Amino acid sequence: MSDERIPPHHVDWETPEQFAARPHAELPAPEDGRERAPWPRVLGIAAAAFAVWFLLFAPTLQHNAQVSPVGTRRTISLDITGPVAALSRGLQLSRIVSVTGRSNRLPGGTVGLITSGPRPTTTSTTTKPGAATGPGATTTTTAPPDPKEPTAAAPLRALIVGDSIGLDLGGPLQADLAGTGVVSAALDARESTGLTRPDYFDWPAELAADVKTAQPQVVVIMMGANDAQDFLGPPDVPYTSPQWNTLYAQRVAKFMQIAQSGGATVVWVGMPPMQNPGLNAQMSDVNAVVQQQAAQAKPPVTYVSTDHTLGTPQGGYTPFITNGAGQVVNVRTPDGTHLTPGGGQVVAQQVIAELQTLGYHIP
Amino acid sequence: MLFPTIDFAIFFAVAFTVNWLLDPYAGWWKLSMIGLSYVFYGWVGWSYCLLLLLTTAVAFVGGAWVNATQNERARRIAMGVSVGLLLAILGWFKYFGFVSVNLDNLTHALGLGRAVPLLQVGLPIAISFFTFMAISYVIDIYRRQLEPAKPLDFAVYISFFPHLLAGPIVRGNELLPQIRRRRDPNSVDYSRAFWLILAGLFKKVVISSYVSSAIVTPVFTSPTQHSAPEAIFAAWGYAVQIYCDFSGYTDIAIGLAMLLGFRFPQNFDAPYTARNLQDFWRRWHMTLSRWLRDYLYIPLGGSANGQAQTIRNIMITMVLGGLWHGAAWTFVIWGALQGVGQSFGHLRRTSRERRGLPGVADGPVREWVQRFLTFQYVCLGWVFFNATGTSQAFAVLGRLFSGWGEASPLVTPLLIVTVLGTIALQYVPPLRVDGLQAAFSRQKTAVQVGLLGVALLGVTTFGPVGVAPFIYYRF
Repeated sequence: MSDERIPPHHVDWETPEQFAARPHAELPAPEDGRERAPWPRVLGIAAAAFAVWFLLFAPTLQHNAQVSPVGTRRTISLDITGPVAALSRGLQLSRIVSVTGRSNRLPGGTVGLITSGPRPTTTSTTTKPGAATGPGATTTTTAPPDPKEPTAAAPLRALIVGDSIGLDLGGPLQADLAGTGVVSAALDARESTGLTRPDYFDWPAELAADVKTAQPQVVVIMMGANDAQDFLGPPDVPYTSPQWNTLYAQRVAKFMQIAQSGGATVVWVGMPPMQNPGLNAQMSDVNAVVQQQAAQAKPPVTYVSTDHTLGTPQGGYTPFITNGAGQVVNVRTPDGTHLTPGGGQVVAQQVIAELQTLGYHIP
Repeated sequence: MLFPTIDFAIFFAVAFTVNWLLDPYAGWWKLSMIGLSYVFYGWVGWSYCLLLLLTTAVAFVGGAWVNATQNERARRIAMGVSVGLLLAILGWFKYFGFVSVNLDNLTHALGLGRAVPLLQVGLPIAISFFTFMAISYVIDIYRRQLEPAKPLDFAVYISFFPHLLAGPIVRGNELLPQIRRRRDPNSVDYSRAFWLILAGLFKKVVISSYVSSAIVTPVFTSPTQHSAPEAIFAAWGYAVQIYCDFSGYTDIAIGLAMLLGFRFPQNFDAPYTARNLQDFWRRWHMTLSRWLRDYLYIPLGGSANGQAQTIRNIMITMVLGGLWHGAAWTFVIWGALQGVGQSFGHLRRTSRERRGLPGVADGPVREWVQRFLTFQYVCLGWVFFNATGTSQAFAVLGRLFSGWGEASPLVTPLLIVTVLGTIALQYVPPLRVDGLQAAFSRQKTAVQVGLLGVALLGVTTFGPVGVAPFIYYRF
């Protein structure tokens, strides 16, 4: 493509006549066999194809709108997708998509239940004299291995669950626990999830399934970053209303009960300080509710605050901390919300130290 | 704004209409394209637009300064200052955090106290891409290969939204002439454009997402829990994932530009059919390869000063190319692996040529062995590229030696077909695809609408809920 020389004192503006008199930009050779079209026709084809797709896909788009955060965008999306989705269902077109199982998909960017670390290879049993039922009679019973004294053959079963910040912690924590050789650590973390919107992702059901699958003896939870939003009803419960705290406390309490349902020790890691003042205040609310419910749970849930491990001495936001070795560590990503791998490592060590305090002999 | 979103579809419908309605009015067209591109870039945060504006201003003034300077030494200084400023902006946003933490820890270890101010700087998306375009503009003027552009032309060149976020890295002499000329509103190459956009969406939304969630993420998250076959498919899978992600983005970018009447350079040419590392870099991210060649490797001396200097120049170019992707040791190792591979190829070729043999050994069996080995070497590099740290990379590689004889539940028939099929597709001759595009362009409008609608439905139906951003956005 040839370039034309530009006069030294050029202007950007030229008359339409001058511009129209210029030759068109060089086009590819026509022998490629492809027919070209005027732009209005191209726009028409694209718009019609988009309309066909929209009609076929409207029920899924409507579902996506329903589970999106409450706000103007959601309202407009529902207003637009609602009638088209109804038409699609009426014409039975939605069946085309539903046969693929599309509506059952989980949110993107997720990590399903992944287990890491040693698997039990033998059943560790202890034989001891049973209660005598008669003179000279003895029986033997098998005692389960003590989870606080894990071994490679009988590892401690840990489950880590959370949202995207839980995932930031979960990766390093899972690796550190599995690296001890005596902990089998399962991780299930889902981005953009929490306890406020089960219509988007049903964490209680997910946790119940995880508990059944992984049979954890320790459950570590780090969740709440997406929870400061309205509960959808009916009736809707706005985040700013007094009823919100009550309802959120109930959800947290129920979640703790599910985590404890198999007899596991539960550790809940609080949200760290946030750079955005509004989000920081919201996370303080969420942490306060969690802390209160942790104390009221039976048996109590251990609450681990990250205000100081990831924050300033006053509990404020900071992207850098100095670790025990005097090294500066960047603990937060530039969005001021998530944890860097270094930040996740810091909290992972805090959680392991907490488990050791609770009596778990993890090397 | 992400390409595979409803937001972008609406944005592009507006941009497409404005583009062609204002086609006869050069000034208004340029102003509208600049405005639309800034809306596109500032969709996530308006503050980033100031950075784009700053880079544009620095490069434009720098180019004018270089052009107005007659004395060769002064001209060189003008170019150096301008490029230095552009690199300083890039370095501040991309490397300050990494460098400051490491320097601070170093001064602390040396007993000099905490001497470096710590500041977390957010990385604006696409900064590397438009900075590279800005640098090439100034250097091309310095080399007298390019005339300075008019202000609005240059602002369109840097910010033009189809290439803004992740390339292709388009040269001034490729795009500026197209900006200056009027495009033909009656000759839109739509069948090729639609093909590129849909193929790009399919690669990104369906293939890349599936391979990522089916094998790459699970294995890289917990390597020790996976078998050797799973580790192998994770490495191969990441090769497929990043190819489909990046080439998918590029296909969409080229297709969108084509709908607006522009032609962008190709960025990929079946890279996994390469027979050696040099061949690979002529096929992978081609616009970055030629940028590194023309603005780094050749100024360093290229291959003109003997074997040792050539290898030094290759290594410097590739390690810096690795660091361009991010301030991490994994990228340094990745770059070094590319440098070692290319140096090996260079030594082998020169050695063969000295013996009077062709540079690359021929024969069908040798060709396939070379392709196979090159692909494995590229995958070795990808393991470091994708890992969050060197320990994770070595853990994945370690499974290749210790993970045999274990169950491989993640290596399913669907995964095998997807991974191997995507690689095999790179051997399909382009003429076959051209024929399909030509056939599509001759169909009746109703048929075209139906085919496009169903293709779009296929992409959205088989993709996940919510698509992850393109990998190269963060570079």
